Amino acid sequence: MSEAIIFENVSYTYNDGEENAVKALRDVSLSVHEGEFLALVGRNGSGKSTLAKMMNGLILPDKGKVVSFGYDTQNKDTIFEVRKRVGLVFQNPDNQMVASIVEEDIAFGPENLGVKREEIIERVDFALKSVGMEEYRKSTPFKMSGGQKQRIAIAGVLAMLPKALVLDESTAMLDPKGRKEVLDVVKKLNKEEGITVVLITHYMEEALDSDRIAVMDNGKILKEGTPKDIFCDYELIDKAGLKLPTLLNIARRLKEEGVKFNREIFSEEELIEELCQLL
Amino acid sequence: MRDFAFGQYYPTGSVVHRLDPRVKIILSLFYLVIIFFVVSYVTYLIVALFLLFVVLISKIPVLSVLKSVKAVIFLLVFTAVLNIFFYKEGKVIAEWGIIVITAQGIDFAVKMILRLSLLVMGSSILMFTSTPTEITDGMEYLMAPLKFVRFPVHDVAIIMSIALRFIPTLMEETDKIIMAQKARGAAFDCGKFTERVKAVVPILIPLFASSFRRAEELALALDTRCYDATPKRTRMKKLKAGWKDFIAVIIVAALGTVILLDKYYFLSFDRMIENALGWNLWGA
Repeated sequence: MSEAIIFENVSYTYNDGEENAVKALRDVSLSVHEGEFLALVGRNGSGKSTLAKMMNGLILPDKGKVVSFGYDTQNKDTIFEVRKRVGLVFQNPDNQMVASIVEEDIAFGPENLGVKREEIIERVDFALKSVGMEEYRKSTPFKMSGGQKQRIAIAGVLAMLPKALVLDESTAMLDPKGRKEVLDVVKKLNKEEGITVVLITHYMEEALDSDRIAVMDNGKILKEGTPKDIFCDYELIDKAGLKLPTLLNIARRLKEEGVKFNREIFSEEELIEELCQLL
Repeated sequence: MRDFAFGQYYPTGSVVHRLDPRVKIILSLFYLVIIFFVVSYVTYLIVALFLLFVVLISKIPVLSVLKSVKAVIFLLVFTAVLNIFFYKEGKVIAEWGIIVITAQGIDFAVKMILRLSLLVMGSSILMFTSTPTEITDGMEYLMAPLKFVRFPVHDVAIIMSIALRFIPTLMEETDKIIMAQKARGAAFDCGKFTERVKAVVPILIPLFASSFRRAEELALALDTRCYDATPKRTRMKKLKAGWKDFIAVIIVAALGTVILLDKYYFLSFDRMIENALGWNLWGA
Protein backbone atom coordinates (compact mmCIF):
# COMPACT_ATOMS: atom_id res chain seq x y z
CA MET A 1 0.00 0.00 0.00
CA SER A 2 1.41 3.38 -0.89
CA GLU A 3 1.39 6.26 1.53
CA ALA A 4 -0.80 9.31 1.08
CA ILE A 5 0.51 11.52 3.85
CA ILE A 6 3.67 10.91 5.84
CA PHE A 7 4.65 12.69 9.06
CA GLU A 8 8.32 12.33 9.98
CA ASN A 9 9.25 13.32 13.52
CA VAL A 10 7.05 16.37 13.42
CA SER A 11 7.04 18.89 16.26
CA TYR A 12 5.09 22.10 16.50
CA THR A 13 4.70 24.78 19.13
CA TYR A 14 2.11 27.55 19.03
CA ASN A 15 3.51 31.01 19.90
CA ASP A 16 7.01 29.56 19.97
CA GLY A 17 9.42 31.47 22.16
CA GLU A 18 6.70 33.45 23.89
CA GLU A 19 5.33 33.16 27.39
CA ASN A 20 2.13 31.47 26.29
CA ALA A 21 3.86 28.89 24.11
CA VAL A 22 1.90 25.66 23.75
CA LYS A 23 3.51 22.46 22.54
CA ALA A 24 0.95 20.97 20.18
CA LEU A 25 2.94 18.17 18.59
CA ARG A 26 5.93 16.32 20.01
CA ASP A 27 7.95 14.26 17.58
CA VAL A 28 5.01 12.71 15.79
CA SER A 29 5.50 10.11 13.10
CA LEU A 30 2.47 8.80 11.28
CA SER A 31 1.55 7.46 7.89
CA VAL A 32 -1.83 7.76 6.26
CA HIS A 33 -2.21 4.96 3.69
CA GLU A 34 -3.77 5.69 0.35
CA GLY A 35 -7.44 4.74 0.21
CA GLU A 36 -7.84 4.03 3.90
CA PHE A 37 -10.34 5.45 6.39
CA LEU A 38 -8.30 6.66 9.32
CA ALA A 39 -9.91 7.99 12.47
CA LEU A 40 -7.89 10.36 14.62
CA VAL A 41 -9.15 10.55 18.17
CA GLY A 42 -8.06 12.19 21.38
CA ARG A 43 -9.23 14.69 23.96
CA ASN A 44 -9.35 18.46 23.46
CA GLY A 45 -5.90 19.92 23.02
CA SER A 46 -4.29 16.60 22.19
CA GLY A 47 -2.96 17.98 18.90
CA LYS A 48 -5.45 16.43 16.47
CA SER A 49 -6.40 19.68 14.78
CA THR A 50 -2.80 20.78 14.43
CA LEU A 51 -2.01 17.48 12.78
CA ALA A 52 -4.96 17.94 10.41
CA LYS A 53 -3.89 21.43 9.38
CA MET A 54 -0.41 20.13 8.64
CA MET A 55 -1.75 17.64 6.14
CA ASN A 56 -2.32 20.34 3.52
CA GLY A 57 0.28 22.80 4.69
CA LEU A 58 -1.94 25.27 6.54
CA ILE A 59 0.52 24.84 9.38
CA LEU A 60 4.14 23.98 8.71
CA PRO A 61 6.16 21.87 11.14
CA ASP A 62 8.83 23.48 13.33
CA LYS A 63 10.81 20.28 13.19
CA GLY A 64 10.51 17.24 10.99
CA LYS A 65 8.58 17.14 7.76
CA VAL A 66 5.23 16.35 6.25
CA VAL A 67 5.02 14.80 2.80
CA SER A 68 1.60 14.73 1.14
CA PHE A 69 1.32 12.69 -2.05
CA GLY A 70 5.01 13.11 -2.70
CA TYR A 71 5.09 16.87 -2.09
CA ASP A 72 6.88 18.31 0.92
CA THR A 73 4.43 20.80 2.44
CA GLN A 74 7.29 23.19 3.23
CA ASN A 75 8.02 23.71 -0.44
CA LYS A 76 6.19 26.94 -1.32
CA ASP A 77 6.22 26.22 -5.06
CA THR A 78 4.17 23.08 -4.76
CA ILE A 79 1.85 24.05 -1.91
CA PHE A 80 -1.16 24.27 -4.23
CA GLU A 81 -0.35 20.80 -5.58
CA VAL A 82 -0.71 19.63 -1.99
CA ARG A 83 -3.92 21.56 -1.35
CA LYS A 84 -5.45 20.32 -4.58
CA ARG A 85 -4.91 16.76 -3.39
CA VAL A 86 -5.71 17.13 0.29
CA GLY A 87 -9.01 18.84 1.05
CA LEU A 88 -9.80 20.01 4.56
CA VAL A 89 -13.29 20.41 5.96
CA PHE A 90 -13.64 22.35 9.20
CA GLN A 91 -15.97 22.34 12.14
CA ASN A 92 -18.32 25.19 11.36
CA PRO A 93 -19.83 24.93 7.87
CA ASP A 94 -20.93 28.58 8.00
CA ASN A 95 -17.34 29.75 8.14
CA GLN A 96 -16.25 27.84 5.05
CA MET A 97 -18.62 29.24 2.51
CA VAL A 98 -17.70 32.16 0.31
CA ALA A 99 -20.78 32.60 -1.86
CA SER A 100 -24.50 32.93 -1.23
CA ILE A 101 -25.48 30.39 -3.85
CA VAL A 102 -24.57 26.71 -3.50
CA GLU A 103 -23.17 26.15 -6.99
CA GLU A 104 -21.10 29.32 -6.87
CA ASP A 105 -19.61 28.26 -3.58
CA ILE A 106 -18.69 24.84 -4.93
CA ALA A 107 -17.20 26.36 -8.08
CA PHE A 108 -14.87 28.53 -5.98
CA GLY A 109 -12.12 25.89 -5.66
CA PRO A 110 -11.90 24.91 -9.35
CA GLU A 111 -12.17 28.59 -10.34
CA ASN A 112 -9.14 29.31 -8.20
CA LEU A 113 -7.27 26.51 -9.92
CA GLY A 114 -8.08 27.99 -13.33
CA VAL A 115 -10.09 25.01 -14.50
CA LYS A 116 -11.96 25.52 -17.79
CA ARG A 117 -15.57 26.67 -17.54
CA GLU A 118 -17.14 23.53 -19.01
CA GLU A 119 -15.12 21.34 -16.66
CA ILE A 120 -16.07 23.44 -13.65
CA ILE A 121 -19.72 22.78 -14.40
CA GLU A 122 -19.00 19.04 -14.65
CA ARG A 123 -17.12 19.11 -11.38
CA VAL A 124 -19.92 20.97 -9.62
CA ASP A 125 -22.36 18.34 -10.91
CA PHE A 126 -20.11 15.57 -9.67
CA ALA A 127 -19.56 17.17 -6.26
CA LEU A 128 -23.26 17.86 -5.69
CA LYS A 129 -24.17 14.35 -6.73
CA SER A 130 -21.53 12.81 -4.48
CA VAL A 131 -22.99 14.52 -1.41
CA GLY A 132 -26.59 13.97 -2.54
CA MET A 133 -27.49 17.65 -2.82
CA GLU A 134 -28.24 17.95 -6.56
CA GLU A 135 -31.59 19.63 -6.07
CA TYR A 136 -30.05 22.45 -4.01
CA ARG A 137 -27.80 23.70 -6.79
CA LYS A 138 -29.33 27.17 -6.98
CA SER A 139 -30.42 27.52 -3.35
CA THR A 140 -28.81 29.53 -0.64
CA PRO A 141 -27.08 27.56 2.12
CA PHE A 142 -28.40 29.92 4.76
CA LYS A 143 -31.69 28.13 5.33
CA MET A 144 -30.24 24.65 5.32
CA SER A 145 -29.68 22.30 8.25
CA GLY A 146 -26.20 21.85 9.68
CA GLY A 147 -25.81 18.47 8.02
CA GLN A 148 -26.76 19.86 4.63
CA LYS A 149 -24.41 22.83 5.03
CA GLN A 150 -21.55 20.56 5.97
CA ARG A 151 -22.26 18.38 2.91
CA ILE A 152 -22.07 21.52 0.78
CA ALA A 153 -18.73 22.31 2.41
CA ILE A 154 -17.52 18.80 1.55
CA ALA A 155 -18.76 19.28 -2.02
CA GLY A 156 -16.77 22.52 -2.18
CA VAL A 157 -13.60 20.59 -1.42
CA LEU A 158 -14.57 17.65 -3.66
CA ALA A 159 -14.84 19.93 -6.67
CA MET A 160 -11.05 20.21 -6.57
CA LEU A 161 -10.99 16.42 -7.07
CA PRO A 162 -8.84 15.72 -4.02
CA LYS A 163 -7.25 12.37 -3.33
CA ALA A 164 -7.67 12.77 0.41
CA LEU A 165 -10.34 14.33 2.53
CA VAL A 166 -9.51 15.50 6.06
CA LEU A 167 -12.46 16.23 8.32
CA ASP A 168 -11.38 18.34 11.26
CA GLU A 169 -14.18 17.73 13.76
CA SER A 170 -16.61 18.36 10.95
CA THR A 171 -19.40 16.57 12.79
CA ALA A 172 -18.89 18.24 16.16
CA MET A 173 -21.49 20.97 15.66
CA LEU A 174 -24.14 18.78 14.08
CA ASP A 175 -27.16 17.01 15.51
CA PRO A 176 -27.24 13.19 15.34
CA LYS A 177 -29.13 13.25 12.04
CA GLY A 178 -26.69 15.68 10.44
CA ARG A 179 -23.77 13.64 11.77
CA LYS A 180 -25.12 10.53 10.13
CA GLU A 181 -25.68 12.35 6.81
CA VAL A 182 -22.11 13.59 6.75
CA LEU A 183 -20.61 10.27 7.82
CA ASP A 184 -22.59 8.35 5.22
CA VAL A 185 -21.33 10.69 2.51
CA VAL A 186 -17.75 10.37 3.69
CA LYS A 187 -17.93 6.57 3.90
CA LYS A 188 -19.41 6.41 0.42
CA LEU A 189 -16.65 8.63 -0.97
CA ASN A 190 -14.08 6.39 0.66
CA LYS A 191 -15.59 3.17 -0.71
CA GLU A 192 -16.79 4.26 -4.14
CA GLU A 193 -14.34 6.98 -5.15
CA GLY A 194 -11.39 5.52 -3.27
CA ILE A 195 -10.73 8.83 -1.54
CA THR A 196 -8.46 8.59 1.47
CA VAL A 197 -10.31 9.84 4.54
CA VAL A 198 -8.89 11.19 7.77
CA LEU A 199 -11.71 11.70 10.24
CA ILE A 200 -10.96 13.68 13.36
CA THR A 201 -13.64 13.22 15.92
CA HIS A 202 -14.77 13.24 19.51
CA TYR A 203 -17.40 10.61 18.90
CA MET A 204 -15.99 7.14 19.29
CA GLU A 205 -19.04 5.69 17.54
CA GLU A 206 -17.81 7.38 14.37
CA ALA A 207 -14.38 5.80 14.71
CA LEU A 208 -15.88 2.34 15.12
CA ASP A 209 -16.30 1.78 11.37
CA SER A 210 -12.89 3.07 10.35
CA ASP A 211 -10.07 0.94 8.96
CA ARG A 212 -7.59 2.25 11.48
CA ILE A 213 -7.59 4.48 14.52
CA ALA A 214 -4.78 6.68 15.78
CA VAL A 215 -5.10 7.83 19.40
CA MET A 216 -3.47 11.11 20.33
CA ASP A 217 -2.74 12.62 23.69
CA ASN A 218 -0.57 15.53 24.72
CA GLY A 219 0.88 16.05 21.25
CA LYS A 220 1.88 12.43 20.76
CA ILE A 221 0.40 9.41 19.11
CA LEU A 222 -0.25 6.87 21.85
CA LYS A 223 -1.31 4.01 19.65
CA GLU A 224 -2.32 3.12 16.12
CA GLY A 225 -4.39 0.09 15.33
CA THR A 226 -7.65 -1.41 14.16
CA PRO A 227 -10.79 -0.36 16.05
CA LYS A 228 -10.63 -3.72 17.81
CA ASP A 229 -7.06 -3.16 18.95
CA ILE A 230 -7.90 0.28 20.27
CA PHE A 231 -11.25 -0.25 21.90
CA CYS A 232 -10.18 -3.37 23.74
CA ASP A 233 -7.19 -1.61 25.24
CA TYR A 234 -9.01 -0.17 28.25
CA GLU A 235 -5.83 1.18 29.79
CA LEU A 236 -5.20 3.25 26.67
CA ILE A 237 -8.80 4.43 26.52
CA ASP A 238 -8.59 5.76 30.07
CA LYS A 239 -5.17 7.28 29.58
CA ALA A 240 -6.27 9.19 26.49
CA GLY A 241 -9.46 10.34 28.17
CA LEU A 242 -11.69 8.70 25.59
CA LYS A 243 -15.21 7.49 26.05
CA LEU A 244 -15.99 4.03 24.71
CA PRO A 245 -18.97 3.61 22.40
CA THR A 246 -22.01 2.70 24.53
CA LEU A 247 -22.07 -0.90 23.38
CA LEU A 248 -18.41 -1.51 24.14
CA ASN A 249 -18.77 0.31 27.41
CA ILE A 250 -21.52 -2.09 28.49
CA ALA A 251 -19.29 -5.03 27.63
CA ARG A 252 -16.42 -3.49 29.54
CA ARG A 253 -18.45 -2.81 32.68
CA LEU A 254 -19.84 -6.35 32.59
CA LYS A 255 -16.32 -7.73 32.30
CA GLU A 256 -15.20 -5.62 35.22
CA GLU A 257 -18.12 -6.96 37.25
CA GLY A 258 -16.71 -10.43 36.66
CA VAL A 259 -18.76 -11.58 33.71
CA LYS A 260 -16.70 -13.91 31.55
CA PHE A 261 -17.15 -13.64 27.79
CA ASN A 262 -15.82 -16.25 25.39
CA ARG A 263 -14.60 -13.68 22.90
CA GLU A 264 -14.04 -9.97 22.39
CA ILE A 265 -17.35 -8.14 22.00
CA PHE A 266 -17.43 -5.79 19.06
CA SER A 267 -20.92 -5.69 17.68
CA GLU A 268 -24.44 -5.62 19.02
CA GLU A 269 -25.05 -9.18 17.79
CA GLU A 270 -21.94 -10.46 19.51
CA LEU A 271 -22.99 -8.88 22.77
CA ILE A 272 -26.52 -10.28 22.52
CA GLU A 273 -25.26 -13.77 21.68
CA GLU A 274 -22.79 -13.77 24.52
CA LEU A 275 -25.36 -12.49 26.98
CA CYS A 276 -27.87 -15.13 25.85
CA GLN A 277 -25.31 -17.86 26.41
CA LEU A 278 -24.71 -16.58 29.90
CA LEU A 279 -28.35 -16.70 30.85
CA MET B 1 -34.51 31.90 12.77
CA ARG B 2 -35.33 35.18 11.17
CA ASP B 3 -36.77 34.90 7.70
CA PHE B 4 -34.25 37.00 5.92
CA ALA B 5 -34.28 37.87 2.26
CA PHE B 6 -31.03 38.99 0.75
CA GLY B 7 -31.29 42.72 0.26
CA GLN B 8 -34.58 43.79 -1.25
CA TYR B 9 -34.59 41.20 -4.01
CA TYR B 10 -38.11 40.40 -5.14
CA PRO B 11 -38.00 37.32 -7.36
CA THR B 12 -40.62 37.14 -10.12
CA GLY B 13 -38.47 35.91 -13.00
CA SER B 14 -39.60 38.75 -15.25
CA VAL B 15 -37.76 40.10 -18.28
CA VAL B 16 -36.29 42.86 -16.16
CA HIS B 17 -34.97 40.29 -13.69
CA ARG B 18 -33.37 38.35 -16.51
CA LEU B 19 -31.53 41.32 -17.98
CA ASP B 20 -27.76 41.17 -17.87
CA PRO B 21 -26.75 42.74 -14.52
CA ARG B 22 -24.02 44.73 -16.24
CA VAL B 23 -26.57 46.32 -18.53
CA LYS B 24 -28.90 46.95 -15.60
CA ILE B 25 -26.16 48.65 -13.61
CA ILE B 26 -25.11 50.84 -16.53
CA LEU B 27 -28.71 51.77 -17.33
CA SER B 28 -29.39 52.58 -13.68
CA LEU B 29 -26.33 54.82 -13.55
CA PHE B 30 -27.40 56.51 -16.76
CA TYR B 31 -30.87 57.02 -15.30
CA LEU B 32 -29.39 58.57 -12.14
CA VAL B 33 -27.48 61.09 -14.22
CA ILE B 34 -30.14 61.87 -16.79
CA ILE B 35 -32.76 62.58 -14.15
CA PHE B 36 -30.83 65.74 -13.27
CA PHE B 37 -31.46 67.04 -16.78
CA VAL B 38 -35.22 66.93 -16.43
CA VAL B 39 -36.58 70.50 -16.41
CA SER B 40 -40.30 70.36 -17.11
CA TYR B 41 -43.30 68.80 -15.40
CA VAL B 42 -44.23 67.13 -18.66
CA THR B 43 -40.91 65.29 -18.69
CA TYR B 44 -41.27 64.39 -15.03
CA LEU B 45 -44.55 62.81 -15.99
CA ILE B 46 -42.85 60.96 -18.84
CA VAL B 47 -40.14 59.66 -16.47
CA ALA B 48 -42.79 58.62 -13.94
CA LEU B 49 -44.71 56.77 -16.64
CA PHE B 50 -41.46 55.13 -17.74
CA LEU B 51 -40.84 53.95 -14.16
CA LEU B 52 -44.39 52.66 -13.89
CA PHE B 53 -43.87 50.77 -17.15
CA VAL B 54 -40.67 49.17 -15.84
CA VAL B 55 -42.30 48.28 -12.52
CA LEU B 56 -45.28 46.72 -14.29
CA ILE B 57 -43.25 44.53 -16.63
CA SER B 58 -40.94 43.49 -13.77
CA LYS B 59 -44.04 42.41 -11.81
CA ILE B 60 -42.78 43.87 -8.54
CA PRO B 61 -45.54 45.44 -6.44
CA VAL B 62 -45.93 49.16 -7.20
CA LEU B 63 -46.46 49.81 -3.51
CA SER B 64 -43.07 48.44 -2.47
CA VAL B 65 -41.35 50.70 -5.00
CA LEU B 66 -43.28 53.69 -3.65
CA LYS B 67 -42.30 52.63 -0.13
CA SER B 68 -38.63 52.93 -1.01
CA VAL B 69 -39.11 56.70 -0.88
CA LYS B 70 -40.02 56.39 2.79
CA ALA B 71 -36.36 56.09 3.73
CA VAL B 72 -35.62 59.58 2.43
CA ILE B 73 -38.93 61.25 3.26
CA PHE B 74 -37.44 63.31 6.06
CA LEU B 75 -34.76 64.63 3.75
CA LEU B 76 -37.37 65.44 1.11
CA VAL B 77 -39.68 67.36 3.42
CA PHE B 78 -36.83 69.18 5.14
CA THR B 79 -35.20 70.44 1.94
CA ALA B 80 -38.55 71.27 0.35
CA VAL B 81 -39.57 73.41 3.32
CA LEU B 82 -36.22 75.19 3.33
CA ASN B 83 -36.52 75.91 -0.37
CA ILE B 84 -40.06 77.25 -0.15
CA PHE B 85 -39.22 79.62 2.68
CA PHE B 86 -35.87 80.87 1.56
CA TYR B 87 -36.19 81.12 -2.19
CA LYS B 88 -36.47 84.89 -2.52
CA GLU B 89 -36.61 85.62 -6.24
CA GLY B 90 -39.57 85.72 -8.52
CA LYS B 91 -43.27 86.36 -8.17
CA VAL B 92 -44.29 86.78 -4.53
CA ILE B 93 -47.35 84.81 -3.46
CA ALA B 94 -47.33 85.32 0.30
CA GLU B 95 -45.25 87.28 2.77
CA TRP B 96 -44.94 87.22 6.58
CA GLY B 97 -42.08 89.33 7.85
CA ILE B 98 -38.86 87.76 6.65
CA ILE B 99 -40.63 84.72 5.22
CA VAL B 100 -41.40 85.19 1.56
CA ILE B 101 -43.02 82.53 -0.55
CA THR B 102 -42.53 82.85 -4.28
CA ALA B 103 -43.97 80.92 -7.17
CA GLN B 104 -40.46 79.99 -8.26
CA GLY B 105 -39.69 78.72 -4.76
CA ILE B 106 -42.64 76.37 -4.84
CA ASP B 107 -41.78 75.31 -8.36
CA PHE B 108 -38.21 74.56 -7.31
CA ALA B 109 -39.23 72.63 -4.19
CA VAL B 110 -41.79 70.49 -6.01
CA LYS B 111 -39.35 69.66 -8.77
CA MET B 112 -36.74 68.67 -6.25
CA ILE B 113 -39.13 66.35 -4.47
CA LEU B 114 -40.07 64.81 -7.81
CA ARG B 115 -36.46 64.44 -8.83
CA LEU B 116 -35.31 62.79 -5.59
CA SER B 117 -38.32 60.47 -5.40
CA LEU B 118 -37.87 59.32 -8.98
CA LEU B 119 -34.17 58.90 -8.30
CA VAL B 120 -34.74 56.68 -5.27
CA MET B 121 -37.52 54.68 -6.90
CA GLY B 122 -35.49 54.18 -10.06
CA SER B 123 -32.45 52.87 -8.23
CA SER B 124 -34.62 50.66 -6.03
CA ILE B 125 -35.78 48.83 -9.14
CA LEU B 126 -32.21 47.65 -9.67
CA MET B 127 -32.16 46.26 -6.11
CA PHE B 128 -35.60 44.70 -6.47
CA THR B 129 -34.79 42.89 -9.67
CA SER B 130 -31.20 41.69 -9.16
CA THR B 131 -29.66 39.50 -6.48
CA PRO B 132 -26.66 40.91 -4.64
CA THR B 133 -24.58 38.23 -6.33
CA GLU B 134 -25.64 39.45 -9.75
CA ILE B 135 -24.78 42.99 -8.79
CA THR B 136 -21.38 41.87 -7.50
CA ASP B 137 -20.73 39.93 -10.70
CA GLY B 138 -21.81 42.85 -12.82
CA MET B 139 -19.58 45.22 -10.89
CA GLU B 140 -16.63 42.87 -11.26
CA TYR B 141 -17.03 42.87 -15.03
CA LEU B 142 -17.54 46.61 -15.21
CA MET B 143 -14.48 47.26 -13.07
CA ALA B 144 -12.34 44.89 -15.17
CA PRO B 145 -10.52 47.74 -16.96
CA LEU B 146 -9.16 48.82 -13.58
CA LYS B 147 -6.98 45.69 -13.63
CA PHE B 148 -4.65 47.61 -15.90
CA VAL B 149 -3.89 50.08 -13.14
CA ARG B 150 -3.22 47.12 -10.81
CA PHE B 151 -6.47 47.53 -8.96
CA PRO B 152 -7.29 44.11 -7.39
CA VAL B 153 -10.72 43.83 -9.01
CA HIS B 154 -11.11 40.17 -8.29
CA ASP B 155 -10.17 40.46 -4.62
CA VAL B 156 -12.65 43.29 -4.19
CA ALA B 157 -15.34 41.13 -5.80
CA ILE B 158 -14.56 38.26 -3.42
CA ILE B 159 -14.65 40.63 -0.46
CA MET B 160 -18.06 41.93 -1.54
CA SER B 161 -19.34 38.41 -2.12
CA ILE B 162 -18.16 37.24 1.30
CA ALA B 163 -19.58 40.33 2.99
CA LEU B 164 -22.98 39.66 1.43
CA ARG B 165 -22.80 36.01 2.34
CA PHE B 166 -22.15 36.79 5.98
CA ILE B 167 -24.94 39.33 6.46
CA PRO B 168 -27.61 36.74 7.32
CA THR B 169 -25.15 34.70 9.39
CA LEU B 170 -24.21 37.71 11.48
CA MET B 171 -27.84 38.79 11.81
CA GLU B 172 -28.70 35.38 13.17
CA GLU B 173 -25.80 35.61 15.54
CA THR B 174 -26.91 39.06 16.70
CA ASP B 175 -30.34 37.64 17.45
CA LYS B 176 -28.79 34.88 19.52
CA ILE B 177 -26.59 37.28 21.45
CA ILE B 178 -29.54 39.58 22.16
CA MET B 179 -31.52 36.65 23.47
CA ALA B 180 -28.61 35.44 25.57
CA GLN B 181 -28.17 38.90 27.09
CA LYS B 182 -31.90 39.24 27.66
CA ALA B 183 -31.88 35.90 29.43
CA ARG B 184 -29.35 37.39 31.82
CA GLY B 185 -31.56 40.37 32.47
CA ALA B 186 -30.28 42.93 29.99
CA ALA B 187 -32.92 45.50 29.01
CA PHE B 188 -32.68 46.79 25.47
CA ASP B 189 -36.03 48.36 24.90
CA CYS B 190 -36.64 50.46 27.96
CA GLY B 191 -34.86 53.23 29.79
CA LYS B 192 -33.46 56.53 28.65
CA PHE B 193 -31.83 57.00 25.28
CA THR B 194 -28.31 56.95 26.75
CA GLU B 195 -29.10 53.77 28.66
CA ARG B 196 -30.32 52.11 25.52
CA VAL B 197 -27.21 53.10 23.63
CA LYS B 198 -25.09 51.67 26.43
CA ALA B 199 -27.08 48.44 26.27
CA VAL B 200 -25.81 47.90 22.73
CA VAL B 201 -22.23 47.45 23.92
CA PRO B 202 -22.79 43.94 25.36
CA ILE B 203 -24.19 42.96 21.96
CA LEU B 204 -21.38 44.41 19.90
CA ILE B 205 -18.47 43.02 21.87
CA PRO B 206 -19.43 39.34 21.54
CA LEU B 207 -20.42 39.96 17.94
CA PHE B 208 -16.99 41.37 17.12
CA ALA B 209 -15.23 38.60 19.02
CA SER B 210 -17.07 35.92 17.12
CA SER B 211 -16.60 37.70 13.80
CA PHE B 212 -12.85 37.60 14.27
CA ARG B 213 -13.04 33.90 15.09
CA ARG B 214 -15.08 33.34 11.96
CA ALA B 215 -12.64 35.36 9.90
CA GLU B 216 -9.78 33.19 11.07
CA GLU B 217 -11.52 29.99 10.08
CA LEU B 218 -12.67 31.52 6.81
CA ALA B 219 -9.08 32.43 5.98
CA LEU B 220 -8.06 28.80 6.49
CA ALA B 221 -10.96 27.65 4.35
CA LEU B 222 -9.91 30.03 1.55
CA ASP B 223 -6.37 28.66 1.71
CA THR B 224 -7.65 25.10 1.68
CA ARG B 225 -9.59 25.85 -1.46
CA CYS B 226 -6.51 27.15 -3.21
CA TYR B 227 -7.40 30.83 -3.21
CA ASP B 228 -4.76 32.74 -5.15
CA ALA B 229 -3.35 29.55 -6.68
CA THR B 230 -3.08 31.07 -10.14
CA PRO B 231 -3.49 34.53 -11.63
CA LYS B 232 -5.42 32.88 -14.46
CA ARG B 233 -8.50 32.31 -12.40
CA THR B 234 -11.54 31.15 -14.35
CA ARG B 235 -15.25 31.81 -13.85
CA MET B 236 -18.08 29.33 -13.93
CA LYS B 237 -20.70 31.95 -14.55
CA LYS B 238 -20.70 33.75 -17.83
CA LEU B 239 -22.70 36.90 -18.27
CA LYS B 240 -24.26 37.15 -21.68
CA ALA B 241 -26.01 40.21 -23.03
CA GLY B 242 -28.74 39.35 -25.51
CA TRP B 243 -31.48 41.03 -27.53
CA LYS B 244 -33.45 41.77 -24.32
CA ASP B 245 -30.58 43.91 -23.13
CA PHE B 246 -30.33 45.63 -26.48
CA ILE B 247 -34.02 46.58 -26.36
CA ALA B 248 -33.65 47.82 -22.78
CA VAL B 249 -30.75 50.03 -23.84
CA ILE B 250 -32.81 51.46 -26.71
CA ILE B 251 -35.79 52.22 -24.46
CA VAL B 252 -33.65 53.98 -21.87
CA ALA B 253 -31.76 55.83 -24.59
CA ALA B 254 -35.09 57.04 -25.98
CA LEU B 255 -36.03 58.33 -22.54
CA GLY B 256 -32.70 60.12 -22.31
CA THR B 257 -33.23 61.68 -25.74
CA VAL B 258 -36.65 63.02 -24.76
CA ILE B 259 -35.21 64.54 -21.59
CA LEU B 260 -32.30 66.18 -23.41
CA LEU B 261 -34.50 67.46 -26.25
CA ASP B 262 -36.80 69.02 -23.67
CA LYS B 263 -33.98 70.80 -21.93
CA TYR B 264 -31.81 71.93 -24.81
CA TYR B 265 -33.98 71.99 -27.92
CA PHE B 266 -37.54 72.82 -26.85
CA LEU B 267 -36.36 74.67 -23.73
CA SER B 268 -39.02 73.06 -21.53
CA PHE B 269 -42.31 71.60 -22.68
CA ASP B 270 -43.98 73.47 -19.81
CA ARG B 271 -43.02 76.84 -21.33
CA MET B 272 -44.43 75.79 -24.69
CA ILE B 273 -47.77 74.85 -23.13
CA GLU B 274 -47.88 78.05 -21.08
CA ASN B 275 -47.14 80.13 -24.14
CA ALA B 276 -49.74 78.33 -26.19
CA LEU B 277 -52.36 78.88 -23.47
CA GLY B 278 -51.21 82.42 -22.79
CA TRP B 279 -50.62 81.83 -19.03
CA ASN B 280 -48.31 83.98 -16.99
CA LEU B 281 -47.43 82.03 -13.88
CA TRP B 282 -44.03 83.42 -13.04
CA GLY B 283 -44.62 87.18 -13.21
CA ALA B 284 -41.92 87.79 -15.76
